[in-house]
Amino acid sequence: MPKYAMAVDLERCQGCRACVEACKVENNTSQGVFWMHVFRLEEGEYPETRISFLPRPCQHCDNAPCVKVCPVGARYKRIDGLVLTDYERCIGCRYCEVACPYGVNFFNWKQPAENYYMDWSDPDIQPASGGEVPPYRNPELDGRYGSEQKQVAGGGHFRGIVEKCTFCVQRIEKGLQPACVTVCPVQALVFGDLEDQESPVSTYLRGKQSFRLLEETGTEPRVHYIGGRTPGTDVREIEPVEGRVGA
Amino acid sequence: MSANAPGTPLPQGIGRITPGWLTIVGLAAVAVALGIYAYSLEASEGLVATGLRDLGTMGGATWGLYVTFVVYFGGVAFGGVTLAALIRLLRLDELRPIGRLGQLLTVVALLLAAIAILVDLGQPLRGLVNLFLYARPQSPFFGTFTIVLSGYLFASLVYLYLDGRRDAAICARTPSRLRWLYRLWAAGYGDSPGERARHRRASFWLAVAIVPLLVVATSTLGFVFGLQAGRPGWYSAVQAPAFVTLAGVSGVGLLIVLAAVVRRVAGSEDRLGLNVFRRLGGLLLGLVLVYLFLLATELFTATYTGEVVERRLTEALLWGEFAGIFWAALAFFLLSLALLLWQALTRRWSIPLLVVAGLLVNLAAIGKRYLIVVPSQTHGQLLPYPEGSYTPALGEFAVIAGLFGLGVLLIALFMKVFPIVELPEEEVPAGA
Ligand code: SF4
Ligand code: SF4
Repeated sequence: MPKYAMAVDLERCQGCRACVEACKVENNTSQGVFWMHVFRLEEGEYPETRISFLPRPCQHCDNAPCVKVCPVGARYKRIDGLVLTDYERCIGCRYCEVACPYGVNFFNWKQPAENYYMDWSDPDIQPASGGEVPPYRNPELDGRYGSEQKQVAGGGHFRGIVEKCTFCVQRIEKGLQPACVTVCPVQALVFGDLEDQESPVSTYLRGKQSFRLLEETGTEPRVHYIGGRTPGTDVREIEPVEGRVGA
Repeated sequence: MSANAPGTPLPQGIGRITPGWLTIVGLAAVAVALGIYAYSLEASEGLVATGLRDLGTMGGATWGLYVTFVVYFGGVAFGGVTLAALIRLLRLDELRPIGRLGQLLTVVALLLAAIAILVDLGQPLRGLVNLFLYARPQSPFFGTFTIVLSGYLFASLVYLYLDGRRDAAICARTPSRLRWLYRLWAAGYGDSPGERARHRRASFWLAVAIVPLLVVATSTLGFVFGLQAGRPGWYSAVQAPAFVTLAGVSGVGLLIVLAAVVRRVAGSEDRLGLNVFRRLGGLLLGLVLVYLFLLATELFTATYTGEVVERRLTEALLWGEFAGIFWAALAFFLLSLALLLWQALTRRWSIPLLVVAGLLVNLAAIGKRYLIVVPSQTHGQLLPYPEGSYTPALGEFAVIAGLFGLGVLLIALFMKVFPIVELPEEEVPAGA
């Protein structure tokens, strides 16, 4: 059984947020939802400032607090290590969201189809769209995955449930890499099977010093960071993403 | 068994509709209607209609007013039924007249807590099914849903039922439209000395069984927060004891208020005498003292040794965004403490002052529950997300108002069908 993990090379990451974009496109996540987020951080006082970047997918924790607290078992850990949400079972209590120390969970506050970035009712785009609002769902993301055959891929399935990064389960099961990994122009993200000594992630991590985020909370994350360090306590985010969902 | 002479009214104004009662019920009904309207908007638009948002990049709180009141109502429920059980257990006969009020308060508060959970869920209908179908004991929520809701509810309903049998038997002697109900409730109970003794034994052992259960159950409510290592401000060992104590504080405080109201409207001045209130006041005083001690311990640890995030959180509480609520809650606690202490020391108890104290501790308890739920989400992020904020939407307030309205409505209805204060022993002809 594979043991999936990700390595993030902080020395390579240049903060371009291409991975953030790729994730949104691949997984159809709606407005304000960032399964992958790249912090652009600043530390110290001008002129002694230091800039750093920190990509933050779901950490797919081995000892995942989100899995532990879910009252209905919708959030679960697969034997290959992926932490997934069963969209058909989640009741939207958001307990996983408050339990996760990394802030990677997103709730569908409104109907996903009403939460496009594009305002499809805008008269200017009517000539091009012909008045059609494209369907939010797509067959690939609606499929069932894993031995459990649960509906776990993609985002924005229903209003009122929680979603988060899946390591692109729909791609992994086809032997592809997660979208963020594929798109990164400087290969700061490396994905693979830790059991397999020759997998990209195993070779990349070998002999390098790595750390994991917030290890002190006992979550045992599957995302290993190389170079850089855990962000200090006086860092500021210089460019927070536009996140609020409006009513 | 001799039936009362026809024309004798049922005790405590049962079955008699007065203008005052109608006014209260009318106001409560308006609040309920408002709540339902607000929730219907929420149900059609989604929870986007609330002030809640995601943690992290969205900079919000995902649990807010609703969860605050789930915890608050859960606490009140605990206070009510525990007191009722303790009255049996410790044979606090003086307090017996408020036993039923305690049981009723518990049943009502639980119902309100359950509704508050449902309105907070993104998928309430699924919740109703899945919470039972796929219940996972490993989730601290399991404690809340099963032990707290069903355990309390079961214990307090059984209690309400058993304790009410004698009064039902008494009421059944008077011909009335509700006689069938009293007969059903009394279920053959005739209030002979033998039956009375058996009845007493049963409720004593029931109390022995439920008090520990209740403490455990309320602690699990504390664990919902206390076990979260990744959320500064929540991860704490005092969380569970503090939850239980504050639950007692709010429960007893609300009971004082309700008892004062019942005393007036049900004409039970003699049954609910000053001695009852004095006892409750003393109890409340003790609980407030213990709670303030726990609060001080918690704050001291947080400010003295706390890590950076923990300290930032404390700063937001003491001087920042939440300072208003924090200091108001503390002032209310201290004010009620002063009121209670003064009465205890001078031994001059006054019902109006006790009611004020009861209201104050409840407002303070709500504030404190809010401060447990919200700041750890908006200001307790361990990764460098910007600070978040949460302002409840009007609709959320309306739903909460509706819940209170429903509570008032239920209690007011109960008062018109059944004696809310246990009938005195003397009304039973000896050896009947
Ligand atoms: S990062 Fe958060 S959501 Fe992902 S597995 Fe860990 S606790 Fe769960
Ligand atoms: S929101 Fe859904 S996945 Fe998260 S804890 Fe609740 S039921 Fe589980």
